[in-house]
Amino acid sequence: MSHRVFITGFGIITSIGKNAEENFQSLVKGNYGFGPLEVLETVHRNSLSACEVKFADKELYEQAGVDAKQGFTRTSVLGLISLQEAINDAGLTHEEVKTSGLVSATTTGGIREFEKFYYELMDPELQGDFVRFTDTATSGEHCERLADYVGIKKYLGTISTACSSSANALMHGAQLIKNNKLDRVICGGAEALSKFTVNGFNALMILDKDHCRPFDSSRSGLNLGEGACYLVLESEAEVNRKKRKPIAELKGYGNANDAFHQTASSPDGAGAYSAMKLALSSARLNPDEVDYVNAHGTATENNDLSEGLGMKRVFGNTIPYFSSTKPYTGHTLAAAGSVEAAYCLMAIKHQMIWPNLNYKHMMPELGIEPITTLKQKIDLKNVLSNSFGFGGNTSSLLLASV
Amino acid sequence: MGEKVEYFINGAGIISPQKTFDSNVFLTDVAQYDKNVLTCITPDFKAYINPIQMRRLSRMLRIGLSAATICLRDSKVFMPDGIVTATGYGFLDETAKFLGEVLKQNEKQLTPTYFMQSTSNALAGLVALTIKCMGYNNTFASKGYAFENALTDVMMQLNENASANFLVGAYDEAAEVQYKASMRVEHFKKECINNLSLFETPTKGSIQGEGSAFFMLTRKQSVSTWCGLLDMHVVYKPEGNELNDALKTFLSKNHIQPKDIDLIVSGASGDIDHDAILDSVIQSSLHTTFQTRFKHLSGEYCTATAFALWLGASMLKNQTVPEVVKVKKTQLPERLKNILVLNHYMGKSFTFILLTGLD
Repeated sequence: MSHRVFITGFGIITSIGKNAEENFQSLVKGNYGFGPLEVLETVHRNSLSACEVKFADKELYEQAGVDAKQGFTRTSVLGLISLQEAINDAGLTHEEVKTSGLVSATTTGGIREFEKFYYELMDPELQGDFVRFTDTATSGEHCERLADYVGIKKYLGTISTACSSSANALMHGAQLIKNNKLDRVICGGAEALSKFTVNGFNALMILDKDHCRPFDSSRSGLNLGEGACYLVLESEAEVNRKKRKPIAELKGYGNANDAFHQTASSPDGAGAYSAMKLALSSARLNPDEVDYVNAHGTATENNDLSEGLGMKRVFGNTIPYFSSTKPYTGHTLAAAGSVEAAYCLMAIKHQMIWPNLNYKHMMPELGIEPITTLKQKIDLKNVLSNSFGFGGNTSSLLLASV
Repeated sequence: MGEKVEYFINGAGIISPQKTFDSNVFLTDVAQYDKNVLTCITPDFKAYINPIQMRRLSRMLRIGLSAATICLRDSKVFMPDGIVTATGYGFLDETAKFLGEVLKQNEKQLTPTYFMQSTSNALAGLVALTIKCMGYNNTFASKGYAFENALTDVMMQLNENASANFLVGAYDEAAEVQYKASMRVEHFKKECINNLSLFETPTKGSIQGEGSAFFMLTRKQSVSTWCGLLDMHVVYKPEGNELNDALKTFLSKNHIQPKDIDLIVSGASGDIDHDAILDSVIQSSLHTTFQTRFKHLSGEYCTATAFALWLGASMLKNQTVPEVVKVKKTQLPERLKNILVLNHYMGKSFTFILLTGLD
C-alpha cells in the first residue's frame, strides 16, 4: 500500500475558460464568470445570476467534435471537452486510454435535458429526437457516455456525494491505483446548470443574488456555476516507465462525515476538521507543512464559519495561506473538487496563490483572513483542497509538488 | 482449491418486494404481482425509525434507513467505521416530485424538501446522521454496477484498515418516471405478466423491481458472520468471448475450478436476448452446476446485485435453498460451500461474485 499516485495531466472547462490556459489567465487577471444567465432557459434570468459557461450546446458539441444527434447532454459534453484535454495533456496513447479507469462525479447528470423533454419522455407512445435523453435523469449516464466515446471499459464508476463528489472521485481513483486494480485512472466531475438545481438551491435560500463573498462577514450565499474537470492519475511504475515528469503527487486524502444535519455543516466544523486531519495523516505531514489551502468557501453563512473553525482546529494559530476560488467559477457542485484540484496544480506549477475575490471584512467569530491579491513566487510544496457537501460529506485532498 | 477468505459478511438487512425484512422466514410465503412493477413489502417502520425523524422522510429513505438498521442490529456493530451506499437511479421519485413542481409552477414558490431528499447521497448521510457516524462516507450512482463500485470501495478501505467494519448498501426505487421513460427502449415487458412467470415469457424486457439491502463487511470472522466474500469482478459491455474469458480468469485467480462451485445465483431478468448471453456463459463452463435465480422475486433494478448477494449469503448461512429460486435441480452437495453470483444489468454490465460458506 505504499505506492505513490501522480497526476500527469488535466483538462478543465468553466465559466472562466474553455481549457486550462484560459482558466489560468483568468485566475491571474482576476476575471470571474459571474453574470446574468444567458444560455439556460429559466424564469430567473433577470433575477438570479450565476457563473455560466457562455457557449450554447451546439457550440460545445463543435468544440468536442461530436454531433448533436449523438445525444450528449450539456453535462456530458462539458465533461468530454475537459476529458479530451486531460488525455492530450497527459499524452496518453489510445491503448493507454483503453486500459484506464474512469471515475466521474455529478450530482444531477443530464437532468437539464430530462427536464426539457419531461412531458415527451413521460408519454411512452411518443417517438422523436428526445428519446436519446431517456436515461439522462440518472447520474451514471454521463460516465458511460464519456467512457464509451473515448473507449474506456476496464473500470467505470460514478460518484454522487453532492458538492464533494469529484474530490471523492479522485480519492477513489488513487485507491484503485494503490490497490493495484489500475495503473491509470481518469477522475473528475461534470455539472451543467439546470432549472432543477437553480430552483433547488433557490428554494433552500442559500443563493446570493450578488457576487459571492467567501469568508467575508457580509457573505450571504453562494453563486452556482457549471463546468467540468478531469485529472489523469497514474501509478509510480507508469510514471517511471514513461519517464515523463508528472505535474504533482496526490499525496493524501481524507473523507469523513459531519453527521450533523441533512444539508447544513456543523457549527464547530467537526467534519471539516476530520477530513483535513485524515488527508494530512495519510500524506504523513504535519499541519505546519501545508503551504496553501484552497478552501471549499462557498460563501454561505454556514459553510465558511464551519470550515474556518475546522481550519483553526487543524492549524492552530498559524493558519496557512488560504483562499476560495468560488467567486471566479461559482459553485460547480460535483465538479468543484476536481476544478479546484486543477487550480491547486496551477498554483503549484506557477508558484502563485489565487486571490479570494470580494473579501473585505473579517468574520469576527473567526478572526482569520484569506489571501486577497494574487501572490506570486511562492514556493508551494503541499497544498490542501477542501470539498464539502450535503449529507454531511467532507473531503480533503493533499497535492504535493514533485 | 480455496483462497484465504479476505472479507466477511457479518450482518445483513434487506427490504424488497418479498417479505425479506424478517430473517425468521426465508422466501417461503412468496408475494405475487401482476402489473410488471414490484414494490417493497415494508415492515412497521416504527420498529427502526423514531417517529419524529420519520415524518420528514420519503418512502425510500424510510426503507433504506430501516434496512441499514436491520443490518446494524444483525451484525451487532452499532458504530461502523464507514458507510458506503450505491444506487442506479437515485431518489428518482423525489427528483420527479421537485421537477414536476418546477415545471407546473413555472419555477415559482417552491419548497426545498423534495430537492433535499433527491440527492443520491441522502441515504448515506441520513444513516450517518442517525447513528452519529463521522467516519468514511461515500455514494456511488453508476447505474448497473453502482453496488459493485461500493463493494470495491469498501474492500479497499478494509485493506487499509483490517480491523474496521463497513456498512455497505444499495437502494433503488420503482420510480414511475423511469418506468415510463424506459418502456420505449424495451427495458420492461409490454405485456402484463405475473412475476412468477417471468421466465416463461420469451420476450424483450424485464419487470420493474426495487429494494434496499445493507451488509456489514469486515475482515474478521465473528459469531454473526453469514459467509465469506472471496472476490468480485465487473465486465462492462463485453465483446466476443470476453465474458467467458473474464469468468475463467476470475475463477482461476481465486483458485476455484468450475466443479468447486456448488450453486449459481443467476441474474437472469426474463429478457430473452440478455439472458441468452448469461446462459451461454453458464453453458460453456458451468452447465452441470446447480442454478438459482431471483428476479421474478425482486424485479429488475440497477442494484439488484445486492439482492443476489443477500440471497447467496442467506443460502450459505441457512444451508437451505428455497424452492422458489431453484432452476435446474441437479444434485446439491450435503453442505453448500461455494456460491457464484452471476448478474447482469440490461445485458450491458456483468458481475461475478464468489461467496464461501464457513465451517
